[in-house]
Amino acid sequence: MRLSEAVGRSVVGTANAATVGRIDEFVIDPASRTIVALHLKKTESGDTLPWGDIAAFGPDAVTLHDPAAIVAASSEVEALSGKSHRLLGKRVLLTTGDEAGVVDDVEFDPESGLITTLVLSGGEVAGERLLGIGSYAVVISA
Amino acid sequence: MRLMRASDIAKHPVVTYAGEDVAQLKDIVFSAGGGAVGGFTLAGRGRFSGPLKQGLLWTSVAALGADAVMIVDDSVLEPTQNVLDAAATSGGSGGDVLGSQVLTDTGIDLGRVIDVVLQIGEPGEQCDVVGYEIEASEAMKTKGAKLLIPLPDTLAASGEHLMVPAAAQDFVADDLSGFGAAVTAFRAKFEGAS
Repeated sequence: MRLSEAVGRSVVGTANAATVGRIDEFVIDPASRTIVALHLKKTESGDTLPWGDIAAFGPDAVTLHDPAAIVAASSEVEALSGKSHRLLGKRVLLTTGDEAGVVDDVEFDPESGLITTLVLSGGEVAGERLLGIGSYAVVISA
Repeated sequence: MRLMRASDIAKHPVVTYAGEDVAQLKDIVFSAGGGAVGGFTLAGRGRFSGPLKQGLLWTSVAALGADAVMIVDDSVLEPTQNVLDAAATSGGSGGDVLGSQVLTDTGIDLGRVIDVVLQIGEPGEQCDVVGYEIEASEAMKTKGAKLLIPLPDTLAASGEHLMVPAAAQDFVADDLSGFGAAVTAFRAKFEGAS
């Protein structure tokens, strides 16, 4: 699944079938190369859904069992949030110090949240090459 | 292995593997009598930032590429004075070679230095100064043209003059693409002769 397709998707509670929010951003930990949380909008309380509390990441909606799982961002999540930690649209640097285009999209495994592929303006690279996501650039191994 | 002009790396951002631009290059600090890059002084990022108190030793550089200097993280930065001291103890010239007159050992003025050509090797190898870009003097057929001239492994520099073997004249190149081969050929000949 691609990040660009998943942004804006509804988050629905399984108990009452009510929409509790929409995906605004993905919080990605470059160290583990996984999505650790979803940043939501249009929620009633809190704005962060930790990945582990998702019941299913389906093609049309994300489901969760307990709407109380939507919480305020923890300090770990906070540290990985914000514009400087976004992947999409950011310049890419190889560890050789050469630029390699920008990140157009990201493919991830909806089961585990693992980043599988980075779709760059110049082609695709394996997710395991991701090293860092900073304010200046996304760094990938050469 | 790649060749780059010193002017090509001016103001390169210094970027960590985490993707943060922690500084940008200010000046190259030469070591080994001007024959290698010992490190860099740094400036802050952004239009209004001044020089930083921290510098970067070449041995702490993970890679120098066309677009950035890569470092593992900002813990490798050290006080600028350490970088200057390290270069000085290895015989750093300290002086700026730009504008110096290049003389052959037979006493011919080849021209003035307008840029420095660096050879970037594998990680862990030193960054050699392998040539100068000069504005050719009357002694050259193409007076006023920009030429690349290969340098021996070690050379004598006084800040006023740089002394090169007369044979260097035979290995000048117009652009970087052919220059790598010229340096290799020149050094092979020069080392064979000495």
